[in-house]
Amino acid sequence: METKTDHTILKTEIEKMNSAVELKHLKKSFKDKHVLIDINLKLAKGENLVVLGKSGSGKSVLIKCLVGLIDADDGELIVFDKNISETSSDELNTIRKKIGFLFQSGALYDSMSVRENLEFPLRDQKKIFKAELNKLVEEALADVGLSEAIDKMPSELSGGMRKRLGLARTMILKPEIMLYDEPTTGLDPITSKEISKLILEVQKKYNTSSIIITHDIECAKITANRIIILKDGLLAAEGTFKNLEKSEDKWVRSFFE
Amino acid sequence: MSVIIQIKDKETESSIKKETFFNTTLKNFFLEISLITRFAAHFFIELLKPPYEFGELLKQSYLIGCKSLPLVGITGFIMGLVLTIQSRPTLVQFGAESWLPAMVGVSIIREIGPVITALIFAGKVGSGIGAELASMKVTEQIDAMEVSGTNPFKYIVVTRILSTSLMLPILVVFADVIALYGSYVGVNLKGDVSFHLFFSQVIESLDFMDVFPALIKTFFFGFAIGLIGCYNGYNSNKGTEGVGISANAAVVYASLLVFIIDMMAVQVTSLFM
Ligand SMILES: Nc1ncnc2c1ncn2[C@@H]1O[C@H](COP(=O)(O)OP(=O)(O)OP(=O)(O)O)[C@@H](O)[C@H]1O
Ligand SMILES: [Mg+2]
Repeated sequence: METKTDHTILKTEIEKMNSAVELKHLKKSFKDKHVLIDINLKLAKGENLVVLGKSGSGKSVLIKCLVGLIDADDGELIVFDKNISETSSDELNTIRKKIGFLFQSGALYDSMSVRENLEFPLRDQKKIFKAELNKLVEEALADVGLSEAIDKMPSELSGGMRKRLGLARTMILKPEIMLYDEPTTGLDPITSKEISKLILEVQKKYNTSSIIITHDIECAKITANRIIILKDGLLAAEGTFKNLEKSEDKWVRSFFE
Repeated sequence: MSVIIQIKDKETESSIKKETFFNTTLKNFFLEISLITRFAAHFFIELLKPPYEFGELLKQSYLIGCKSLPLVGITGFIMGLVLTIQSRPTLVQFGAESWLPAMVGVSIIREIGPVITALIFAGKVGSGIGAELASMKVTEQIDAMEVSGTNPFKYIVVTRILSTSLMLPILVVFADVIALYGSYVGVNLKGDVSFHLFFSQVIESLDFMDVFPALIKTFFFGFAIGLIGCYNGYNSNKGTEGVGISANAAVVYASLLVFIIDMMAVQVTSLFM
């Protein structure tokens, strides 16, 4: 199902760059359900990669394998030149601190206030002073437009606010790699656009490499340097937004309508 | 559940089938025991390794202790009062009414105080921990901690098990004192014993081997309640129904374990008597 669009230029460009993440023959099944069959993927440094695919196609599983939340059955997972499946737990933790992960469900800490949620990823950096910490937290909240909610509990927030808080918590560490699982789902078009721009801004400012899972084509259009589409456990298509939008394959085009 | 239904259908079949039924339940039983043991071993390993989560430990101890204080106090008072009222007629029959404070005191301190308080604690705190951890698991909060480079076992499980182990002995002492006060009130419903006389009688009747083993076993009760609560919550199945199941299992097995530990404690103390 490889698209006929010509993206050889793009490919060689990626080959030349250093990769932040590399997946080789990644495989994952749950009992007899084969979710990922053979995924080969490179994420270049400073690149925004958008992942499309139908619901249940294994997008979330893919990025969970990347941080070792789900153990892959087979294949190599290389992050920062380290093979994830072979690292010790200490090494894995060091790697994880350089990765931001936005959960599809938000995964906010219910028992902590908004402020404490944001402070949590920074808690073992003992050198940070209180004033500095406050500034970081306020900045992160301002970025997602949540400044007034700083002393609320997550249960008092609306669905979209929870999403934005999750995003702020992921971004506060300024990680080298960001994994966004549906950052704009459930948000109004205006906020969605702001979030998409924020993702772009973060990429420019900190040279972050990101994988962005989304169903929001507007978001993909704004953020993507490159797009892949997952289907039946394989990469069904790969290319730039413009390439895929005009793909000869009807199925690929249908994502962009 | 399905296994039991199968057995009912095949009751007429050969006894070999029944043997396999017992085999599987036995197997599951021992499997569960080994998993809990491993969970406990994991606890001790993480307990010793730095960094230590003192802040969270304090917070949990405060929450766990304070949450149970009123309930433990009320049950303690009622326990002492009722026990005294119930024991009086028997003692009167034997003309041993003056023994009332001593007898009630010994039963509260040795047995009833620790066990009833532990059961209340299991119902309140054990189920709370089971439900809380299970819902953290369902909503991916535990995963989120792991991804952010914090060891969730250390942050969540170790602090809670330590808190229950440390807080239950304190709560039991508190409950014992209130229960003795309840007993004092009970004695004075039909008699007239001064506060001073009552408590000096109680203290005189107690010796070291009444108080010390009773206090030691409450550590184990607390540990068991925390362990079972955390084990069930931390390993809960995904989905919201997992939350209810975990909370329920936490209370049932923790209560059972309290009785088992109590029985073992009696055997052990009788060795030293
Ligand atoms: N922990 C798990 N145990 C068993 N099966 C799982 C587990 N996690 C995911 N799956 C299965 O893997 C498949 C892919 O799930 P995944 O969450 O990656 O989908 P997705 O592409 O993110 O979908 P969506 O767009 O709806 O979020 C699904 O069929 C799901 O049932
Ligand atoms: Mg998903």
